[in-house]
Amino acid sequence: MNKWLAVLAMVILASCTSIDCSINNLVRTRFQFTNSAGDSISLKDTLTVVTTRKDGSQKIIFTSDSIIYNKGVGTCKFNLPISHTHPEDELVFHFIGEKVHIVDTLWIAKEDYPHFESVDCNTGYFHKLTAIRHTHNCLDSVVIVNPSVTNDDQVVHVHIYPKISN
Amino acid sequence: MTIKSYMSIFIRRSAISLLLLVAATSAQAQMKFFSMQKDSIPLFRGFAVSFDMVGAGLMMFSDYGQYEGALRVNLHDEWFPIFEAGIGKAKHEDEVTFLNYSTSAPYFKIGIDKNMLRDKHGPNRLYLGLRYGFTSYKIDITRPDYPDPTWLWDTSYSINDVACKYHWAEIVVGIDAKLFGPLHLGWSVRYKQRLSHSEEGNWGTPWYVPGFGTYDTKLGATFNVIIDI
Repeated sequence: MNKWLAVLAMVILASCTSIDCSINNLVRTRFQFTNSAGDSISLKDTLTVVTTRKDGSQKIIFTSDSIIYNKGVGTCKFNLPISHTHPEDELVFHFIGEKVHIVDTLWIAKEDYPHFESVDCNTGYFHKLTAIRHTHNCLDSVVIVNPSVTNDDQVVHVHIYPKISN
Repeated sequence: MTIKSYMSIFIRRSAISLLLLVAATSAQAQMKFFSMQKDSIPLFRGFAVSFDMVGAGLMMFSDYGQYEGALRVNLHDEWFPIFEAGIGKAKHEDEVTFLNYSTSAPYFKIGIDKNMLRDKHGPNRLYLGLRYGFTSYKIDITRPDYPDPTWLWDTSYSINDVACKYHWAEIVVGIDAKLFGPLHLGWSVRYKQRLSHSEEGNWGTPWYVPGFGTYDTKLGATFNVIIDI
């Protein structure tokens, strides 16, 4: 009898459901500053990135809500959030040195795909980067090296080539 | 030759001998398993139809379930080729993630059971069996619009009318007890294993598969009302 009870308990335990959502559910674009030789470099300037939101908050005032990367020093590789379904994200890069403050703007066009894991997991979007345009104050060129943006936060998607390799 | 070489040859020969012994024993056992008892009972013993109450109960009291029936052929009270078919449905609205998941599709299973009891022709049976299952279905996943957490743009989320296919296998252990006349009742416990699946597009994996259950489920059970024909 005890044997059957043990078997029944095992069956019931094995039948219990578990929630298996990805440990990392953040989907972000990974950038890397690169020199002309293709090697990653670190910025000496302080880098802050803000974005333009639906309410236009970046254009009205430098609000904390619109800052998506704040005062990074010695930045080499960094992750920025990517909008769920907006066709093009506007990212404003502020390079702040001791005596200089240079601003460049990136516009990243993309396609968005809903991603589903389980009804217990939060909704998410994966993306395919399709085009980047930018101003050229501090940036020489910006290249998409891996267009597929998923929840793998170690993949570099965009190489940024600054004019001066500071 | 070194001692190492002698040992290597000894181990190899021992392993081959052991494998041959296991193969011979296993072949004998297999022949016995697949052979039928020799008696005066005819090969064809009739049909039985059954209906699963667990799936119907799940359908009534939870977000997903299935209506499933089966047609079983009785060969000499030992082997029972079986065809199972049903309709699996899911309609889940999650209170935390606000996701709505719905699907509804038929599914089919084919397989065979073996009566493991020594007294094959008695009123009760203990089955061990295998199934192959298949379904082709479409799913809809939606959630109400919500603001993008950083950009505040309204975000809609929908995956509509996506075609999927799913193949799986089941190992079945079941019992069947005669109540009276042609009426039997039976339980079965099933271990399920996904064989292959395909989904249209690159959006992830389904949550509920008609006839199989939730995507990564391994165990299932049925409670069958069986009528001999």
